[in-house]
Amino acid sequence: MTRNPLRQLLAAVALCMAALPGAVADNIQDFGPQTFAQIKAQFAGKPFIVSLWSVDCAPCRVELDMLGKLKQADPDFPLVVISTDTIEKREEAADILLGYALDGVPTWMFADSFVERLRFSIDPMWYGELPRSYFYAPDHSFTAHSGILTAAKLAELFPYQADSVDQREHDR
Amino acid sequence: MRMSLTIFERFSLALALLLPVLNGPVLAQSCEALRAAQGQDLISVHCGGAPSAVFDADGHLWVAFVLDEHVYVSRSDDEGATYSTPVRVNAEPEDAEFNGENRPKIVVGADGTIMLSWITKTSNQFTGEIRFSRSVDGGRSFATPRTINDDGLRTGHRFDSLFLTPSGKLYLTWIDKRDMEATLARNEAYPGAAIYYTVSTDMGATFMPNVRVSHNSCECCRIAMAAHGEDSVAILWRQIFDDHIRDHAIAVLGPQGDVSEVSRATVDDWYIDACPHHGPTMVPGAADGQYHMSWFSAGNLHSGIHYARYDLATDLPADLIKVDGTPGAGHPSLALHEGTLYLVWKGFDGMGSPLQLMQSHDDGRSWSEPQTLMTTTQGSDHPLLITSPGGVYLSWASEEHGYVFKELSND
Repeated sequence: MTRNPLRQLLAAVALCMAALPGAVADNIQDFGPQTFAQIKAQFAGKPFIVSLWSVDCAPCRVELDMLGKLKQADPDFPLVVISTDTIEKREEAADILLGYALDGVPTWMFADSFVERLRFSIDPMWYGELPRSYFYAPDHSFTAHSGILTAAKLAELFPYQADSVDQREHDR
Repeated sequence: MRMSLTIFERFSLALALLLPVLNGPVLAQSCEALRAAQGQDLISVHCGGAPSAVFDADGHLWVAFVLDEHVYVSRSDDEGATYSTPVRVNAEPEDAEFNGENRPKIVVGADGTIMLSWITKTSNQFTGEIRFSRSVDGGRSFATPRTINDDGLRTGHRFDSLFLTPSGKLYLTWIDKRDMEATLARNEAYPGAAIYYTVSTDMGATFMPNVRVSHNSCECCRIAMAAHGEDSVAILWRQIFDDHIRDHAIAVLGPQGDVSEVSRATVDDWYIDACPHHGPTMVPGAADGQYHMSWFSAGNLHSGIHYARYDLATDLPADLIKVDGTPGAGHPSLALHEGTLYLVWKGFDGMGSPLQLMQSHDDGRSWSEPQTLMTTTQGSDHPLLITSPGGVYLSWASEEHGYVFKELSND
């Protein structure tokens, strides 16, 4: 793959841009086949929420709006946002996240065209419908939800908000 | 930096150079290998986004695809073994959509007129326009594309389907958000979008005004179309029932803008306020008013890919079966040829995506065991089945195999 001269050039340009402060203003990272395992490892022993969206999904915008407000109210809320769009749509995705004040949150985008494998790495039982969200308990048992996530549904499926804050207090 | 090739790349290159000699329609070529051999700016069906295909009356195969903001058309005179140099349809670049549920559509009239529709995105807020162009000189040149939705609104007009009836009536149907916009402007709720259509009786020279088929469709699934007699079509789409259930509806559309009553074709009980991006497939059955349909649902009653034969006279589905309930299985395509029903879909087994085929010789009452046609461990498009008077063919694009066009009826 890296031997393609065009891709090498693009990669070089991307590196240069990354080196320029402010040139790449988003917090979007590549989501590959191993990424979800790494995310889970980051949250070892802790609860967290995963929200999956795409730029082509209208109901997802309703959910992003709610999550943006939630994150503003509680900047430490353990939220993982993953776009199932290809990385080529990065600019569009970054614009949308900015609109919901989610630009400061580390987010991921599908970076492998074999999307079936990426979906499988998140959940073998997921059919690909969006929005899709996951609620991980501290022991990483989880509940899945398809369709728009409302604040009420979130509160019902994720009773760890206070706990997680307590846990962070304890960690300090 | 020195250019060096891995063994795999050398092998791919060798294979790419060898293939035209082998002349095998089954062994397609990956875009990556072709571009390594012929240059990175190569325009080819094997590099095209979301291709679709059709046979003309003389047995020539026409394939439409998207590449770098252009729709292209390429012709094959040997059932997909080799292709002509692709011809640009839109001279000016536009943001033509290409994904599993939004692809350029192509049909060819008995007089040789080549007609295409596609979606051009106009913003990142789900707006788009229904675009149309045609060639009256055998594909050498195409008319400047025009917009078919006649509301003049910058709103959603997407997920188009194009169909030419046996009598030569051209139907174009799509998902439309004009009614949603108007309703929301009155501060009233409007679940989903709407289905609209138009007809051309002169091979795409002119179209009648847009006609609404139904309110409250799902916003993001392709619409299936099949012939209904000589002049009309039946369409099958994902519809919102009771504000939250996304099952399927069927209706018959006529050439004068006459729309039948909308009937519920599937009762899967899928409560979801989300985008399944998963549209159905449908072909006419042996008897008038009967339709073979296959669809995906994750409903309370039916979960996975299903098949049933719907009868418009009784409003009932018959011989409903679960085709594949494996998570990751989806995107079925149906075809009927000389009394045999073909059903192809894409699975996922954790490592790769197998293309599965099963057949029925008794109008969908019983089916063969599924067989795996091909597998890929890279990204791939939805599989499509294409029929000609001579047979049934698989049309499938993947990174690994390029564009595959393969006859199934002789297997």
